[in-house]
Amino acid sequence: MASADKPINTDVPEKDVFALHFLQSLSNLRRQNTFDSPEKTNDRVKKIKKAAYVSMARAAGGTNRLWSRALLRRAAKENNKVVRFPRRKKRVTCLRRRSNRRDPVEEEEAERLRNLVPGGGGMGTSKLMEETAHYIKCLSMQVKVMQCLVDGLAPK
Amino acid sequence: MDNELFMNTELHPPPEMAMHFEQPSCSSPMLNWPLMNPNLSQYSPPQDCFTWEKSTEQQQKQSIFDSALSSLVSSPTPSNSNFSGGVGGGDGFVIRELIGKLGNSSTTPNRTTPLTEFSGDPGFAERAARFSCFGSRSFNGRTNSSLPVNNSKIINSGKLTRVVSTPALHGLVSPMAPAGEFSRKRKHLTKVKSKETPLPTASPAPSFSKTAEEKGGKRRRREDEKEDNTKGPEPPKDYIHVRARRGQATDSHSLAERVRREKIGERMKLLENLVPGCNKVTGKALMLDEIINYVQSLQRQVEFLSMKLSSVNDTRLDFNVDALVSKDVMIPSSSNRLHEAGLQAESLSHHSYDNSSQLHTNVSSSNMMLQSPVNSLETSTLASSFTHLPTLTQFTDSISQYQMFSQEDLQSIVGMGVAHNPNHESQNMKIEL
Repeated sequence: MASADKPINTDVPEKDVFALHFLQSLSNLRRQNTFDSPEKTNDRVKKIKKAAYVSMARAAGGTNRLWSRALLRRAAKENNKVVRFPRRKKRVTCLRRRSNRRDPVEEEEAERLRNLVPGGGGMGTSKLMEETAHYIKCLSMQVKVMQCLVDGLAPK
Repeated sequence: MDNELFMNTELHPPPEMAMHFEQPSCSSPMLNWPLMNPNLSQYSPPQDCFTWEKSTEQQQKQSIFDSALSSLVSSPTPSNSNFSGGVGGGDGFVIRELIGKLGNSSTTPNRTTPLTEFSGDPGFAERAARFSCFGSRSFNGRTNSSLPVNNSKIINSGKLTRVVSTPALHGLVSPMAPAGEFSRKRKHLTKVKSKETPLPTASPAPSFSKTAEEKGGKRRRREDEKEDNTKGPEPPKDYIHVRARRGQATDSHSLAERVRREKIGERMKLLENLVPGCNKVTGKALMLDEIINYVQSLQRQVEFLSMKLSSVNDTRLDFNVDALVSKDVMIPSSSNRLHEAGLQAESLSHHSYDNSSQLHTNVSSSNMMLQSPVNSLETSTLASSFTHLPTLTQFTDSISQYQMFSQEDLQSIVGMGVAHNPNHESQNMKIEL
C-alpha cells in the first residue's frame, strides 16, 4: 500500500472559463425560452440554477472529476438524455464496506458530506475529501461569477 | 531469570571473550566487560552505546560482576579447559559451556547469592535488561539458536531510560528507546513487517519456543503500551512500503487502516486551507462540520444568485433590450462603429462557437440580424430578432462590465471595436472553450 501519494491536484480553471460556460448556458436558456416567460418564476430559477451547476461542472473538470461527472449525469437524466462518459476506473463502492474503515463520528459527517457533494455516494472517504476540496473551489468560483453577473445586470 | 539474564549477556560470542575468561583468577572481571564492549560491537553495532553505557556504569557493576565472575571462574577446571580450548573454533561451544556453567551455578545456593545481588539492584536490572536484549538479539540473529530469553520479565522490572538507536540495530533497539528516539527508529523497524500477534505480556514458558522476532514483537508491544501515550498518534511514513510503527498493532488490517487515516488527515489539511475560519477549529468532527456548513452555504448562495439572475434576466431582457442596444450604440461613437463591433463580435462568436452546435444557430441568426442595416438595431420593432440579439448583446454587454475578467479581448468586443484582431481572439476563445 502506497503511503506516499501523488500530490493531490485541486486546481480549478480561471474565472473566465467559468464565466464563459455560464454565459453560454444562460444564452442557451434565453434562446430556449419564449420571451414572455410562461413558466413560473420557480421554474426559471430552477433552470438557471441547473444551468449554473452544469456549466460549472463543465468548466471545472468536465469528465475528469467524479463530482462533475455525477452532476452532468444527473442533469442529463433529468433531461432524459443519455450521456456516455468514457469509462474510467471501476467504482470502489465495495471497499467502503470493509469493517476497519469505519470511524463512527467521522463517518456520520462523511455521510452528510456525501449528500451534499454530487457523486459522493460512490466514493471512499479519502476520495470524498479530494472531491470536496475541488468542489468547494469550483463552487466559490461559480458564486463569484454569478455575483458579478448579478451586479452587472442589476438595474441601476 | 537472572541467570538467563546473565547467560544472555554472555552470549556474545567473540572469541576474545573466551580468552578473557581463561584468566583463572579473573581478578579484574570488570576489565572483561569493557573489553567485551568492542567485541560486542563486532556483533552488535552500537559500539558507542555499549562503551558509553559501560563507562558510566562500570564502577557500579564492578563489584557485582566481580563476585559473579569469581564464582563462575572458580568452578571446576574442566570448564576452564573448555574455555581455554574454545578460543579458536569453538566459540559457540565455549559460550554454551559458559551458559551451562551459569545455569549450574544458579542452582547452587551459594551461587544464587551473587545473582540475587543482581536482582536486588534495580539499576542493574535495567542495565541487564538492556544487555540481555542486545545479547539475545544479536546472538539469536547470528546463530539462529532459540535460547530461552526471559527478557520480558527483566524489562518489566526495570525502567528503561537509555536511548539506543543506530541504523544497524533495526528492531533490536526498538524496545530500548523511549519516545524521544522514536523518530529515528521508526524508519528502521523491520521486525514488525511480519504479522505479529499480540502476545501475553508475561509468559516465560512459551517464550522458549519463540523466535527472536516474536520476542521482539512482544517486548516491543509491552514497551509500547507503557510508552504509547508519549508518542504522537501518527508519525509520518517516509517509505512507499508501509512499516508498522511503535505503539501500533502490526497486522495488515491496522496498517491499512492507519494509512487510510493518514490520507484522510492529509486531505483534511487541504480542506482547512479552503474553508475560511477553520484554523481555530481542530479535530476531525468539528472540521467536517465546518466544511459541511461551508458547502451548504455555497450552494445556498448559488441558489440565491440564480434567483436573482432569473429576475434580473427578465427585466433586463424585457425592458432593457433597448437600453442594451442603445448602450452598444452609444459606446462606439458612430453606427459604423457599432456595425464593425457587431460584425467583429459576430465573427468572433462565429469562430469561437463553432464547437457548440447549439450556439451555432444562435450565431447564424445573429449573423443575419447583424447584417441587416444598422438602423434595425436601434428600433425595437423587430421583436423576434431581438430574442436572438439580446443573447449576444447581453453576452457582450455583460462581459464588458466585468473588469474583473480584465481581458483585453473581452473589452475590445464592446468598447473599442475596431482595432482588434478577431482571429487572435477567436483562437483564445477556442482554447478556453
